Amino acid sequence: MNKMEFNQLEETLYHEQLPNGLTVYILPKRGFSKTYATFTTKYGSIDNHFVPLGEKQAIQVPDGIAHFLEHKMFEKEEGDIFQEFSKNGASANAFTSFTRTAYLFSATGRIQENVTTLLDFVQSPYFTEQTVEKEKGIIAQEITMYDDQPDWRLYFGMIENLYKNHPVKIDIAGTVESIQDITAEHLYTCYHTFYHPSNMALFIVGNVEPDSMMEFVKDNQAAKTFDPPAPIERIFPDEPKEAAVKERTLEMAVQKPKVFVGIKPERLDLHGPEMLKHELSAQLAYELLFGRTSNFYHEAYESGWIDESYSFDYSLESGFGYALIGTDTNNPEKFAQEVKKTIHQAVEKWPFGQEDLDRVRRKKIGFFMRALNSPEYIANQFTQYAFNGMNLFDIVPTLEQIEVADLQEAFAAVSAESQQSVFTIKSPDKDPE
Amino acid sequence: MFETKKIAQGVHVHVHETTQFKTINFSIRFKDRLTVKNASERAILANVLQHSNEMYPSHTALRMVLDDLYGTSLYIDSTKRGDDHLINLNVETVNDQYLSDKGVLEKVMNLMYIVLFKPNFENGLFKESIFKREQESIVQRIESVFDDKTRYAQQRMMELGLPGHPASITSNGSIEQVKQVTNESLVAAYHQMLENNEVEIYVVGDVSPEVISSHIRDYFHFADRKELPAKTDSQLYPPAQSRVLEYEDMKQGKLHMMFFTPVTFRDEEFPVMQLMNGVFGGYAHSKLFANIREKESMAYYVSSSYASQFGLMFVLAGIDRKLEEKAVSLILGQLDEIKQGHITDTELEQTKALLTNQLKEALDSARGQIDIYDQYMELLEDFDPAYLISRWEKVTKEQIAQAANNISLQMTYFLSGKEEAKDE
Repeated sequence: MNKMEFNQLEETLYHEQLPNGLTVYILPKRGFSKTYATFTTKYGSIDNHFVPLGEKQAIQVPDGIAHFLEHKMFEKEEGDIFQEFSKNGASANAFTSFTRTAYLFSATGRIQENVTTLLDFVQSPYFTEQTVEKEKGIIAQEITMYDDQPDWRLYFGMIENLYKNHPVKIDIAGTVESIQDITAEHLYTCYHTFYHPSNMALFIVGNVEPDSMMEFVKDNQAAKTFDPPAPIERIFPDEPKEAAVKERTLEMAVQKPKVFVGIKPERLDLHGPEMLKHELSAQLAYELLFGRTSNFYHEAYESGWIDESYSFDYSLESGFGYALIGTDTNNPEKFAQEVKKTIHQAVEKWPFGQEDLDRVRRKKIGFFMRALNSPEYIANQFTQYAFNGMNLFDIVPTLEQIEVADLQEAFAAVSAESQQSVFTIKSPDKDPE
Repeated sequence: MFETKKIAQGVHVHVHETTQFKTINFSIRFKDRLTVKNASERAILANVLQHSNEMYPSHTALRMVLDDLYGTSLYIDSTKRGDDHLINLNVETVNDQYLSDKGVLEKVMNLMYIVLFKPNFENGLFKESIFKREQESIVQRIESVFDDKTRYAQQRMMELGLPGHPASITSNGSIEQVKQVTNESLVAAYHQMLENNEVEIYVVGDVSPEVISSHIRDYFHFADRKELPAKTDSQLYPPAQSRVLEYEDMKQGKLHMMFFTPVTFRDEEFPVMQLMNGVFGGYAHSKLFANIREKESMAYYVSSSYASQFGLMFVLAGIDRKLEEKAVSLILGQLDEIKQGHITDTELEQTKALLTNQLKEALDSARGQIDIYDQYMELLEDFDPAYLISRWEKVTKEQIAQAANNISLQMTYFLSGKEEAKDE
């Protein structure tokens, strides 16, 4: 078992890759009664075109299948897995993102029993045509629920604007129509390709003793047989550098119009420490331009063209990413114009110096330290980073190395006019009486 | 868990010294009675105080200081609990022992003092432009509920079903009342808050209770004030309409049901009702989840919740708009199961295990410790999680069935798409 110590943070991370390929991470948290565990596969909604395990021809699977598979993992011949977790006092859940499917529980007791349930249910698929059909009604209601949420529609509308070919533009849950095509056979194909232990990570954080837990997980895994690990061949289409759609409006009943300005990053090929540095630098640059202390925010808030819903975000994965700046506003045109103007001015003449950097860096370090109080943040964020070759605990040392020039360089890759897009949601005009 | 000191009549400091967290958490809570007028004023007041102050007269200046203090988070919100309205100053700062920089804590405490006691006044009133802007913000916040159809449907049901009752008054008040607030009335509300509200000050982190209490005495000069009289339960009157249908431009049908229970937080039977709610629809093993979702495939979400302050129980489900009647009958069918005592040993044990787990987990965050302690303070002299757990352990199936028999459906509210309305 390997050990990484982060002295200033007073945290120790234990980890090991097992013979079947599974990577296990254990982080004990002093003083916590809860233990939180995630069992995650590097498989999400974007992995819809791939060569199935043991075959030669690539296939394209129906939209929404990774999420559908996540739902169906909970049903077994002997019943519903939620019941098992409840018996052992655990709250269980799962989620599917663009790049990951995670199964998780939190509990304050019977941790070994719950870890066993978690490992065993994810490693024993059970799909029949009948259970697959039955799930379609539930997922259709989930999709319908999201369809009625303007903020979700705004987010996805913007991603559709930015990406022309990349599957990130497909809604994670698919559509009510696309899920009708999903069969049990599809689910098995995806399962066998992406749920091999070598494509997965187990993260256990909280009130846990690392040595005995690692042994326990090893024994559980050693008792099962898996095929030898094989590389997974995923196929992604070519994606132009420019935003696919410059401007688009959706009509939907909303109290006030909603608008996002999105920017597609140029550097989508990054990995590991380089990716971490780029992502943090871009986040700091955006914080300076659009954060709560920015001139932009001050003017926008005082002039009333943003409200409490205002937000901005910068996110980078392998193959896709986005910067988003948005708000509810009665003047979406003005907002979009001011955001674009702010970006343009920073491109023309970089406005920030060392003092600005020091301030937002301190803010970010503080945010990270606060986040370390949350077992959920640690497990989920660590896994997402690890799948991109980054180490979550490198955040503070990396932040400390960043210089003003890094911000400028990162910003230059997320700012060109051709990479920008605007998406607006407005209520339809009232019919004339 | 917390060590309590009274620093003035109606003002208490509660400190929990622990190394569990890398941060120090403060929460200063100003309690007043919940009325629409009070809530409307105090929602604006929270925003105005959070915006700026005498020393940092712009929003930007204040936020920059916070960034410099290692991204100390400071926000003021207004919330409600039962018939109380609360203004909370919440601050979380990195414990400076994890930093090379020292003295952060004292700067943060000084800043909290400035935020509360040195507002951004101009000739004895709040700066007019800030007042106007934040008044407008609260109006927009209330209006934006419409965009979240689950919240909107719940709010509509409460407005129609229990008008004027504390259960239906939101922590932001109403648009009408918010618009009537003047700068003068806001200043009066500010003085009322500082001088007459009950104040509970919470601190959680690696700090010594003696040191922190003396710091608080030094920084905050709270005078004696009257304590609020002991709580009594507000009377519930049956809603004027037992079934309401409303239409908006949307796809899903939102089913909301309201039940009265004779049991509140303050009753002996409170733990029984918590178990009853858990078995019925509180968890993923519950009857509603297992039957309405998993067996019938009718819903993605379906659950019950127990508003113990008022003795209300709600069931919420997102369903196809054509299936309202079927859903209501299936939901009531599951309640009947409990009334008839059809509860398995497994269901009982699962629910006890999850209530226990939920309580222990909540105590793993500083915010959770403060919220739970603050809530139970009126009931228990010494807060002890083991005592709460032991009360659940004692509950029997017969008691749960009995409790279910005392529940009555008072209202169903259904919000769905307009198209259907034309077809029918």
